[in-house]
Amino acid sequence: MAAMDAVRRELRGSAIALVMVAATTLVAYGLIQTLDVRRGSVIYLLPVLLAGWHLGLVPALVAAIAGVLWSGYFFFSPYYSYYLSRPNEILNLVLFMVVALVTSHLAISMKKQTEIARKREKEMGDLYAFSRRLATTSSAADIYLAIEEHLANLVQRKVVLFGAGDAMALSGEMGTGSPQKTRQTQGLNPDQDALPQRVHAAIADLQAGRTPATTVDDPGGDIWLVRRVSQQNADFGVIAIDLGSIPAGALDEVRQRVDDVLADAAATLERLGVARVLNEARMRSETELLREALIGSVSHELRTPLASILGAATVLSKSPAVAKDERLNSLAGVVRDEAERLNNDIQNLLDATRISREQVRPRQEWIEPQDIVNSALERRRRRLSGHPVSLDMDSNLPFIYVDPVLVEQAFVQVVDNAAKYSPAGSPITIAAKRNGHDVVLSVHDEGAGLTAKESAQIGERFFRGPRLAATTSGSGLGLWIAKAFVSANGGKIQALSAGADQGTTVSIHLPFATPASEPEVGPDD
Amino acid sequence: MTEANPVVLVIDDEVQIRRFLRAGLELDGFLVQDAETGAEALRWATLKPPDLVILDLGLPDMDGSEVLDRLRAWSSVPIIVLSVRSNEAEKVRLLERGADDYVVKPFGMAELLARAHAAMRRHVRVSTGEPVVKVGPLAIDLAARIVTINGARVMLTPKEYRLLQLLAQHAGNVVTHQFLLKEVWGSPHLHDTHYLRIFVRKLRQKIEADPTQPRILLTELGVGYRLAVPEPASQAAAG
Repeated sequence: MAAMDAVRRELRGSAIALVMVAATTLVAYGLIQTLDVRRGSVIYLLPVLLAGWHLGLVPALVAAIAGVLWSGYFFFSPYYSYYLSRPNEILNLVLFMVVALVTSHLAISMKKQTEIARKREKEMGDLYAFSRRLATTSSAADIYLAIEEHLANLVQRKVVLFGAGDAMALSGEMGTGSPQKTRQTQGLNPDQDALPQRVHAAIADLQAGRTPATTVDDPGGDIWLVRRVSQQNADFGVIAIDLGSIPAGALDEVRQRVDDVLADAAATLERLGVARVLNEARMRSETELLREALIGSVSHELRTPLASILGAATVLSKSPAVAKDERLNSLAGVVRDEAERLNNDIQNLLDATRISREQVRPRQEWIEPQDIVNSALERRRRRLSGHPVSLDMDSNLPFIYVDPVLVEQAFVQVVDNAAKYSPAGSPITIAAKRNGHDVVLSVHDEGAGLTAKESAQIGERFFRGPRLAATTSGSGLGLWIAKAFVSANGGKIQALSAGADQGTTVSIHLPFATPASEPEVGPDD
Repeated sequence: MTEANPVVLVIDDEVQIRRFLRAGLELDGFLVQDAETGAEALRWATLKPPDLVILDLGLPDMDGSEVLDRLRAWSSVPIIVLSVRSNEAEKVRLLERGADDYVVKPFGMAELLARAHAAMRRHVRVSTGEPVVKVGPLAIDLAARIVTINGARVMLTPKEYRLLQLLAQHAGNVVTHQFLLKEVWGSPHLHDTHYLRIFVRKLRQKIEADPTQPRILLTELGVGYRLAVPEPASQAAAG
């Protein structure tokens, strides 16, 4: 198709050249008739020059030949014949053709120069805009977006950023990460999977820090430039640029320009302290891991003696000598209750560790919601003994598909809080109801309630209401654990209170769905 | 129960746990033999066959479940497993491998004794053919296939009765979902726990005073069901 287009363009140019020659002939004829000019063949250089400049070589040559023939017709004897006989005419032909060649060549190279100058100007403009964007940006995500857009604009092909996720995730910590920006960063590399295998391998190589930059030929014949965003800091990620089928000579030039762009960007990333933040995050997560390993092993070690203490206390309270002495018996009860409480605290620590290590994996099954409530109440029977407990459960609740053990542990936390933050003797109401598409398990107490400020913070890890922190024991983990367990099951927790000392209602909302199949119930079942 | 004091084999590597178990079990009339390792336990079990085994899973020389397997290879002695919390999958696995029940550490002596006596009673029931299991107002006559509450006959569908029968045979001990599903509905329905939930709900409506707060048919979350601890046979006979 391109060849056809070229032929058509040349034909059109040649036609225009012939029209110009014809126009010149009209002028020449006029000159001859009015002024009797006999040395005017040079006038035919005009269409040659014009055609050479605007239309290219072929039309210029056509104009030259036509011009020579016409000038022979008008200006050389035998006049009014196209026959070329005089050496002058031959010379004219050669001269015209040289003019055609030179003019068209000049025109082409001139146009090329202009084109290059215009392109340079645009690149400079882009680069300037890019620098300005870098200078005003204050988040890593923005920088990565700018790099990607700018390079894609520069090479007009695909550009993919890798492994900048850590840095981008941290951009939020630098104070400007908004939900919108996060969405943009996620859109940065939408189709990494579409990359050729070899490019993937090269990227992995670079991410492992083996080389700072490389080029890859993919099987489709395209050349990929793969390099680190920063030559100094591997944490800033890797960029892969599809250069298409670029000639070897141009490759170096493109590489140089990419280098310049990335050097700017890397400097800006450094300026923003991304490296420092990344480093701190890494150290923080290592400290966290160590702390959790410690909590895990210590908690485990503490449980074994606790099992002996609790067991021994229950044996003591049953032994004849203690059983008949009320004071001794109540002391044995104290040992048992406190051991139990300590055990719960340790369990909370272990659960918290499990949650922050993201090791909570629900084992979901269909379950009767009341079973969860009853099991939790059974486990907390002794702790609730100081409160009149009233139960309000619908008898025909839909089954829910959850991990019953996790939800029960969450519910136990909620029950514990109700017992802990309401005065002895005050009633506690426990309900299991259907509400829209949720089953709602709730615990209402008439205790300390929540201020607006506490409501906002409740459920945060280690949060304890300052009003009561001094008078009640606790770690501030309970509701946080409950929240994590409930959300692992697709539910949510709500705490409502009319205000300080107005009581609290904490409810666990769990969505229900219909089981896939019902058992077939025949008359014999 | 035999006239002589029953013998219990306690397998635990923690000396303090062995101490309180010994005290508690002796108070309850058991003769206690304890073992620190799996190998020692297996030796004692063959030397002096116990009436009850209490097995801690964390042993220094072999996995607790291996001890369980090797005991079950030749003995049907009641076995209660001491397990740690938050591992329901492991509890289910051990129950399927032949443990009669479990208690979760830390536990009170009363809980352990209740489980142990229930398991031993089942053993006796199987060997003597005692047909009636009584749990509170509920009586299940396994021979006549008759269920009564306070003497009044309760009408159950065949599947409901089968479910209650399985639980009654293990009265006081936990029965896993998988076991119930397999026995009542067959192997293809091993994971259809909602079948079980539907029939348990129906059953509770027939046998519980308040089906929302069951006292007889209890749920063991993530594991299975348990019929509440039955009254001892002697009292059942007297009542």
